[in-house]
Amino acid sequence: MPKVPGMVKGLGVTLGTLFETVTKGANTVQYPHEKEAPPTRARGVIALHEGNCTSCMLCARSCPDWCIYIEGHKELAPPRREGGKPRKVNMLDRFDIDYALCMYCGICVEVCPFDALFWTPEYEYSEPRIADLLHDKAKLGEWMETVPEAPELEAGAEKKKK
Amino acid sequence: MSLTDRVLGDRQRLAYIASQAADARLNVELETEGMTLNIGPQHPATHGTLRIIARLDGEQVVWAEPSCGYMHRGYEKLAEVRTYPQVTTLVNRIDWLGSFANEVPFILAAEKLMEVEAPPRAQHIRTILFELSRIANVSLFLGDLGVQMGAITPVFFAFRDREYVLNLIEGATGGRFHPNFDRIGGLKDDLPKGWIAETKAVMKKLRTFCDQIEDLLFGNEIFQSRTRGIGVIPKDIALQFGLSGANLRASGVDWDLRRDHPLPMAWNKADWKVWTHPDGDSFARCWVRLQETREATKIVDQLLDTIPSGPIMAKVPKIIKVPEGEAWVSTENPLGEMGYYVVSRGELGPFRVKIRSASFNNISVAPWALRGVYVPDIITILASLYFILGDIDR
Repeated sequence: MPKVPGMVKGLGVTLGTLFETVTKGANTVQYPHEKEAPPTRARGVIALHEGNCTSCMLCARSCPDWCIYIEGHKELAPPRREGGKPRKVNMLDRFDIDYALCMYCGICVEVCPFDALFWTPEYEYSEPRIADLLHDKAKLGEWMETVPEAPELEAGAEKKKK
Repeated sequence: MSLTDRVLGDRQRLAYIASQAADARLNVELETEGMTLNIGPQHPATHGTLRIIARLDGEQVVWAEPSCGYMHRGYEKLAEVRTYPQVTTLVNRIDWLGSFANEVPFILAAEKLMEVEAPPRAQHIRTILFELSRIANVSLFLGDLGVQMGAITPVFFAFRDREYVLNLIEGATGGRFHPNFDRIGGLKDDLPKGWIAETKAVMKKLRTFCDQIEDLLFGNEIFQSRTRGIGVIPKDIALQFGLSGANLRASGVDWDLRRDHPLPMAWNKADWKVWTHPDGDSFARCWVRLQETREATKIVDQLLDTIPSGPIMAKVPKIIKVPEGEAWVSTENPLGEMGYYVVSRGELGPFRVKIRSASFNNISVAPWALRGVYVPDIITILASLYFILGDIDR
């Protein structure tokens, strides 16, 4: 049998792919019209559950490029029990994440001891002005609606301690 | 080498310089002086901002030198002012096409100093993700190779199939390019449900992709004539310049850190082969990488079947302080040997980190390999040496 020239073989590959694209459809997605759903673990944007935040500053300190800005003050709240001392509560005045600086490493979400920060796979928040990428606590709170449930784990995984 | 030999060598060199000067004078008389060609810093063939200064004599390169440093980001210095968990997110960005592989040696070095070892399940998943990042990296190389020689189709194939691998990495780690998934003592999280089955399907696709690229590119007569016998790097030169990875294996040196260097990873639990090629030319380098991608898919398949159950995190304190000491760990990354020398003074962050990245040594052979070749072959040789700018400049 004579050897098939490499170029003919290559043309066969492209023809096969053409046939596959025509019958099975293309791999590409026309972005603004169709959207691909990112996986649930995708690190798109950070959501803030304001009620859980105690402004302990752990996230701001552990951020590798220090793009989280937190300001808070202490307030006296009425006591839990009748006749008790008034409680001191941390009030969050400012919680900003500068997404122009953020490296999306997820360390802040991981170190948060009170479950106030969550990843969501949303990604459509580009802005024409770079200064608008600084999300304040109201905007970070809006992302809370999009936080997905954590996915189930593969067989053989150890259950997470809560 | 005896003294007379050295003197003779010097004399020969002087004679060579004199003859070059005579040639130059002749060229001036005939008004055919050489010209200097600047390739880059912005050039599609440089994968970033590498500048190649080539002095030409007609169509032939007389002297060429890569000029690095246009993308220097100072990671070694940045690492000194950060804590250990923060450094992994930085080192992700060194070789940006196979970023998970960058984290592993750093974490292993820190673990070596702390004398902890990741549990077997974490080691397995680490190795799987390591090989996936190798596949993502090298499959893009296989497509990119065609573009550098004027064939546009392979790159579409490569981007299509790399996307499947990146989706897998994103599904498990959350980041397509910068996973930041490795932690000292284990991994951040376990695999999500259904990931193993998905990975197996993708590995099948990747093997088809390798066959397609072999038919499309490696069997092509134009490709073969442009790469065979071009940019030959012999064994001794490759060793002298400190090449590593597929570039070294293509010169016939049977050297693979995954096999030779015992590390707490799971490579020894799979059955695979180290491919070498005796030729040392551009074709050999590309061919070795193609075979490596196939081997990597096999490693992933075998390891997926044997993932042990158990925890994914060893017992480490919440605030990580690495004890005083120095450690060097290197692994066989997609581009070659990558290692970290970590000096710790018992603080929250490393005192000093030295990064040995593969591309810097791989590109350092370019002045040797480019001497005497024709201008179109510059691109072919550089493409087959395969460097990533972030990996050169760090």
